[in-house]
This record gives sequence, structure tokens and C-alpha cells, in this order.
Amino acid sequence: MQRQFFFFSEMGYNAYPEEEADKYGYTSLMFPNSIFDPQKARDLWQMFLREHEFASEMGFDGSVCNEHHNNVLSMQESVNISAAVLTQRIKGTIALIGNPLPIHDNPVRVAEEIAMLDLISGGRIISGFVRGTGIEQLSTNANPAYNRERFEEAFQLIKKAWTVPGPFRWEGKHYHLRVVNPWQLPLQQPHPPIWAGGILSPETIRWAAKQRITYLVLGSALEATASCREIYHEVAREDGWIPGPEKLGYLIHTSVMDTDEEAFEMGKYHYGGTSAIGRGKSTGGALTQGTGSAGASSGPHPEWAAPPGYISAEAKQGAMARERRMSEGTYEGAIKAGLIVSGGPKTTIQKFKHIIDRTDPGYLTFWAREGRKPHEATMRGIELLGKEVIPELREHKSALVTGKEVTPWPEH
Amino acid sequence: MAGTLNAPSETVARLAGIDTLVRRGGSGTPLLVIHGELGVPGWLESYSLLGQSHDVIVPSLPGYGASQRPDWIMSIHDLAAWITWFARDSGIDTPVNVIGCSMGAWAAVEIATVAPHFFGKLVLTGPMGIKPSKGEIFDYFLENGMTGLRRNFHQPESSAEFQRFYGKELSVEETDIIEQHREMTCRMVWKPYMHSLTLHGLLPAIRTPTLIVQGSEDKITPLDCGAYYANAIPGARHVTIAGSGHAVEMEKPQEFAGLVREFLNG
Repeated sequence: MQRQFFFFSEMGYNAYPEEEADKYGYTSLMFPNSIFDPQKARDLWQMFLREHEFASEMGFDGSVCNEHHNNVLSMQESVNISAAVLTQRIKGTIALIGNPLPIHDNPVRVAEEIAMLDLISGGRIISGFVRGTGIEQLSTNANPAYNRERFEEAFQLIKKAWTVPGPFRWEGKHYHLRVVNPWQLPLQQPHPPIWAGGILSPETIRWAAKQRITYLVLGSALEATASCREIYHEVAREDGWIPGPEKLGYLIHTSVMDTDEEAFEMGKYHYGGTSAIGRGKSTGGALTQGTGSAGASSGPHPEWAAPPGYISAEAKQGAMARERRMSEGTYEGAIKAGLIVSGGPKTTIQKFKHIIDRTDPGYLTFWAREGRKPHEATMRGIELLGKEVIPELREHKSALVTGKEVTPWPEH
Repeated sequence: MAGTLNAPSETVARLAGIDTLVRRGGSGTPLLVIHGELGVPGWLESYSLLGQSHDVIVPSLPGYGASQRPDWIMSIHDLAAWITWFARDSGIDTPVNVIGCSMGAWAAVEIATVAPHFFGKLVLTGPMGIKPSKGEIFDYFLENGMTGLRRNFHQPESSAEFQRFYGKELSVEETDIIEQHREMTCRMVWKPYMHSLTLHGLLPAIRTPTLIVQGSEDKITPLDCGAYYANAIPGARHVTIAGSGHAVEMEKPQEFAGLVREFLNG
């Protein structure tokens, strides 16, 4: 496949007063919605959607949208509504990363909505499924102890709804439906490409490999992503197949400006301590745990991110812990660990060539708008990515394929 | 000390379909303890005191402590059924006297509604299972494990039992067990949280002599819940222990054991 380049923005509500975040010490789940200002949110929506549109105009292959609940981290409380709007605003692919399956009591509704999106967009949909963060479970009252079971059962049900002619009946452990017979089916046959997004939980990586679906690494550091690819390939080897690059997606915080120095400054908006988007004021824990999402309530209320049964013991001790040590809990550490890729176009190109050489992702998604980063800077970053960075990366073959030497990471 | 007079045995045996940890000590007529959502950290002072007159039997419920977690236990009703099976497999003659604590009290009441012959007398502490009309049952799942544990006590710092089990730096294994208990609880009582939608309709059918004991400073189960049970179960009494939090059996062992003994002997 030819590598594809996507734009991502959480489209977070960044208009809350900083002193309110200080007062509560968190900006999710219990952060009172009396702080929400609809007028400001309306303006933010217009700005964010314009940024997506601009990325499309600048040559990105697609846009990525997401879903969170009770969280300033993201205003997208329905990924399918985000995607519906994007079908009308951008030209390329729309990747949903995705529908948090366990929070739904009727997964067939998700199957129906994805089919609608695929039809309306003319087959431009990638359907990502996620477990949702701990906060999603708490805010939608989905039992976290059954999170993985619900995820896997909902996935099987949706896949069956797309691939096996209805009507049929579904009597599972968590889902029970008399009649499964969604009238509309996806345009892409048998169904749109399916991604599973994760933050390095080894069970999810192995599960995705077993299902032979694309695993999307959500904002994790380079070393951890490389080991995640290893796990995926190991499972595939055991099952007797070799995954191509289309089986790995990589979402990375990216700050590109005209110079390295400017990019470094703007990159600070990607770090919890500066933007405080959804992460609690006092901590950079979100990024150091490998994602802005799952760490969304790190700090005073880590239990919201990990309610009972949500995170396995293996995941707790595994990659995330390693990664946390690597990034040292500072902005500079996050840059060093590749959690945030920052630089002028030349530096950025070199960094991404290194990343491609190490991980060979079929889908590279730039998390290029974040927090309170000014709109103008975001637009300039999108322009530089589209006009200068992406064209250089498009033809770059991974050292994993060519056997050539890995492009060195820039020194400074 | 009472604890050394009737040192308990601690065994893991295949009972009621799972490997079950059972602590048992004392002598006299059997007294079965159904623990609550926090599990049992060890042989409590109150068990020792009650062991002077009773054969105190404390299983770790499925998914708690060293007892296995079967996938099929998904509700308090399932748990209640397992408890009756456990009693049968353990050779406990029924009717048997039972203490049910907090979530365990709810399980005991579920049994009482369908198997009245199971019980001699029933003691409930800080009983879950009923939606309070005043206040709310504390939501353990919005807070961390230690916060929930502390909240079970009115004054954790001056509770000997709290200090003995939790007033120290916990090992990774001890922290893991607290999380394991939270997960098992979550499996059974997530929604509707810690209460039944139907139990209230069945309470008037109970004929078991019932004593409800609650700490006057209970910050987990509103006192309203205990009062509701006492009103709904014919002949039941609601007694509060002054200066105690939710875990009366741990925070006020003397007073609690005294009340239980008096009730069982009366």
C-alpha cells in the first residue's frame, strides 16, 4: 500500500478558565458543566472544522475523528456525528478512532451509523473501535469490569451484522437482540476497514493481530510503538501470516512550524502542563502515559482513568510503565521520547523518516492541533505538513522493508 | 487475648464449585459471617470475641481473598445462591445464625426472601440493597480503594483494626487484593449501584428474627437504609453504635460482639 497521512485534532473545549481547572485539579468527569459556554463552543466548532477542511486542501489523505465524554479533552461526544460532518467538509478518508463499543447497549446501532456514513461519503470511511477510557465507562455507566468482554462481543456482533445476511438473532453474554437485520449495509464490501485503537494494552494488540485488523497506536512513544509492532508481528507469525504496513497506524503529537525554535514553543501546547486540556493542571501524566486520552484524569483522580477491572495487571506493568520512565515526566522528555515530534520542516521530515524506518506504519496521523494552540499557528503547521513534509515522506520506504540503515534521529 | 484463646484455622478447599478460603475459629453453635464489599483482611477481633460462644465461620466469598472467581457470579442473587451451596458443602447445619455485613447483608436478605429455613437469626450491619430515600450510598467506584476503606471508619486513625490491617505501607500484593475486591464488587453491583429494584417488595415476607446494626457515623450506607429494613422486615430492630463508622464489626468490636451475643442468646 501507499502510506497515507491523516490530520487529527481532539477538538477539545479549550475555553474554560484556567483558574477553574486549578480549583478542581481536574478537567474531566466531575468538572462542573456550569463552566461550559455554548457561545464559545460554537466558535470553537467552526474553527476546528475549518482546520480539518484546510488539512484536506493542503493534501492530507484524510481526517481522523474521535469520541470522549464528560471531558474538555474533546468536544466530540459522538464520533459518528463528527464523521458525518467531515463527510461534507473534506475530500479524503474519514477515520473514526473510534466508536467506544463497550459503552453501547445496542452495538447494531453503531453498525447502522457506520453503514450510513460509508454510503453518504461514497466509501470513504475507516471504522475504528476502541474500549473507551475509564472516564467513558463512568460517564456512560458501562461496567468497567466487563469492558473487554463487551468490546469483543460488540465487535463480533457488528462484524456479523455487516457480513452475514439478516435477519438473525443474537443471544450473547452482554448483548441480546431478537432481530439483527440492519437495512443499510456499508458501501465498502464486506465492510469498511476496521481499526482497533489502543494505548499499548498487550491484550488489545494480540487481539487485533488475531482478528487481522489494523492496530492504531494512540499517541505513544516511539520505543513502545516499535515493541507493539513486534507483539503484533509475533502473533501473526504464530498464525502463519505476515502483516503489511496497512496493519499499523500511528498517531503522533506533531508540532511543525517554520523553524525548530518556533515549533518547540508551539509544541508546548501539546503537553499537559501547558494546555491542561483534559489532564488536570498539575500533571504531565497524560502524555507520559502515552496518550492524551487515557491519562485524561491523571493527577488527583487516576482512579477515573482506571476504574475497577478496566486495566489488566499485565498492561499496568508493561509498556506504559516503561514508557513513563522514558519520558521523565517533562516536556523535554516527551520530545526526546518521540511522544511529541517537533521541528521545522527539515527536522520533522528527518524525525518521521526515522519513525517510519523503525515502525513502518501504513497510516501516519499527525495530531497537529491541540489545546490552546493559536489557530494561525495550527494553520501554518497544517500548511507545512501538507506542502513540505508529507510529499517527502510519501515515497520514503521503511528500513524494515529495504534493509537499509535507519535514518538517524536529529541530534539537537 | 481472645484472639489467642480460639486461634482460627485457615484453609482453602473445594466448596460449592470453587476453591474457597475459609477462616474458622471458636466453639459453640455455628455462626456464619458473610463479609461485605471490602472482603476480609484476616481474623477480626470481633470474630475472636464471638468465638467465645460460637463456632465462627468466615468464608472469603468468590472473587475475594484467595477464593476463586467464577464467571457466572454476576449479581448479588447469584452470590446468595452460592452461599447456600457453600453452607451445604461445608456441612453447616441449618437453620444457622448469620451475620451479613454491608453488601454481604444484602446477600443474606436475598437468601431470607427465598429460603427462610436457612436462618436461625440474622444480623445485618450497614445493609446495602435498598435505595435510600434520604442521602445516597457511597460510590466506591468514583474514588480509589484506600479512600473507600478509610471511609468505612469514623476515626480510622484510632481504630485498632484499621491500623492493624491498613495503617501501614501496603505491599503490592495487598494493594492488588484491594483492587481485586473492587473488581469483584463491580461485577455484581455496578448497575443499579448497590441496590435491588425488587427487594423492597419481598422484605415483608421475611420471618427471620433480624437485628440491624449500624454505626451512628456511617458514611457508606445512609442510616435511612437500616431504618427501612427495620420497618419492612416484621419484628426487626435497628440499633446504632455511637461513634462508629460503617464497618461496626471492625471499628467497635466489643460493642458489636456484645450486641450480637445478646441478640443471639435472647
